[in-house]
Amino acid sequence: MADAVFLALTVITIGSAIAALELRSLVYGSIALMGTLGGIAGFFFLLDAPFVALFQLAVYVGSIAVLILFTVMLVKRELIFKKIEDKRRKFAGIGLMLVVMVALGAVFLDSGIKTITTDEPAAEFRDIGMSFVTYYWPALILMALILAGSVTGALVLAKREDVENDQRTS
Amino acid sequence: MSVIAPKFKLSEFIKSLLDNIFWIMLLLTFVGLPAVQIVLFYIEMPVIHGELLTPFLAFTWLADPTRILPVVHAFMATDLFRIAAFPGFGFAALLAAGTIFVERKMLAKLQLRVGPFYCGKIEGILQLMGDGLKLISKEIIIPAKADKPIFWAAPVMFVGAAAAFVALIPVAPGWVVADIDMGLLAVFAVIGFFPIITILSAWSANSKFPFIGGIRALFQMVSFEIPLILSLLGVVIVTGTLNLSEISASQSFFPWIIFLPVGAIVFFITMLAELERIPFDLPEAESEIVAGWLTEFSGMMYGLVQLGTYLKLYAFAALFVVLFLGGWNGPMVVPPFPEEFLVGVEMGPVKVGPFPGLPLFDQAMLNGTLWFVIKTVGVIFFILLPRGVFPRIRIDMLLNLGWTKLIGLAFVNIFIALALLYAGVLGPGGLQ
Repeated sequence: MADAVFLALTVITIGSAIAALELRSLVYGSIALMGTLGGIAGFFFLLDAPFVALFQLAVYVGSIAVLILFTVMLVKRELIFKKIEDKRRKFAGIGLMLVVMVALGAVFLDSGIKTITTDEPAAEFRDIGMSFVTYYWPALILMALILAGSVTGALVLAKREDVENDQRTS
Repeated sequence: MSVIAPKFKLSEFIKSLLDNIFWIMLLLTFVGLPAVQIVLFYIEMPVIHGELLTPFLAFTWLADPTRILPVVHAFMATDLFRIAAFPGFGFAALLAAGTIFVERKMLAKLQLRVGPFYCGKIEGILQLMGDGLKLISKEIIIPAKADKPIFWAAPVMFVGAAAAFVALIPVAPGWVVADIDMGLLAVFAVIGFFPIITILSAWSANSKFPFIGGIRALFQMVSFEIPLILSLLGVVIVTGTLNLSEISASQSFFPWIIFLPVGAIVFFITMLAELERIPFDLPEAESEIVAGWLTEFSGMMYGLVQLGTYLKLYAFAALFVVLFLGGWNGPMVVPPFPEEFLVGVEMGPVKVGPFPGLPLFDQAMLNGTLWFVIKTVGVIFFILLPRGVFPRIRIDMLLNLGWTKLIGLAFVNIFIALALLYAGVLGPGGLQ
């Protein structure tokens, strides 16, 4: 069962990733990108990490894909892209991808992933939170500062000085 | 006076009726019954009273309550029943249908109109059914230059997302379709799908008004999603769980709105914005941009979007109840199930019962559902009420409200929750 689901998710993820690159229509491309991100969320579900999976769905599919879609809808494709059809470039790209995949695969296989026990219970998200506030607290503080900085920056950017106008007093 | 069928003859009507009955009986006898028997032969039948229910007995238990009740009871424990009927789609759709009628009638009374009046004898109570029939029988028109696959898929996806939201709501103890540990996170994930569906359907219609409405919807939903998520974190902090059933069960003594009123207010305002209700109904502002992102939908596609909208309304109101108003908790008002039915009733010479599997719903479940429905209907009423009172606000005021004021208030709520926890009012050693 899990194998079939894994295979289906793999097909969805890789297929929609290829579609996201290859489709002419940018909107369909970004929908395919959503498929890729959703497939990755499915992988997290299979790995017994529903916490990460749901955040993947909420953040990547729910927010970032929407931003991409929104941007894509507001541009005219012809004005910014000129697709160069070239056999040599295509094959060079495919070859580069294969080299990168083989290299990454070699690194993964060499990293001791074969000796991992797969039937351990799923990591409780409370445990992750616990180790975040005990052992890894500097990382947490750093992340919190970065996030607070970005939220403050976003608020500052979002708050514009209103144009003085008697008819539009809010 | 217009007549629906001018050449109507009663004798021919009766003749056609008898004709139909004849053919139905004939087909049922020669095709229907053998088909049922053949199907039952291949299904694994249950054992009732120590006797295997063979296909030959299958029709006898329909008339015998002592045999049919355990089957009904077993069916109510299945996932199909939960998804289709009680905590799932049927229950939510029933409440949604009631909401539509109450909204129209109440709005009319608020504005000194009559409202739906002619469908059905009493106060136009069949208006909704009439509208549904009209929507089903209308032609579906697709704009010539629309992007057809997305345009067709959008209403279905909208209803699907709304139904997924409904599936996460616990109605009574143990009565929830999907009881997952990350319930609240799943709610956030599902809420995140609505802007995508809205903007895709708006874009695919290839028309000006839907696109303007869709972009407004996107702005509004994305900017109000952040205060929505932040306002619920206070409840998560004080309960220490993301499971909606556990959050509901943790409020058996007091609802969280007593301690976290700021979060409840922020959640209510963001809820109005996510539901596109007045005063935040800019995406479908009917006086400016025909019907916003719904303009090009016709027939049952529009009906599906409306169904999804009202399912979403129910789900948000139910989420408010679960998180802030104590969910199913309330004083026990449902009387216990009469014991006589479990041991059998003596009625003169005849002894009726005992009926195995009779308390179809236990007392706690009935009581929980009652309180849940009462609270949810109350919240829905307060969601509907601004529609009769407030005008629509401007988009810049809306965004300003979402990005500055509500996010700030949500953070205030989080700090209140943390202060309650660290001061020992709540949590271990405190009230709970």
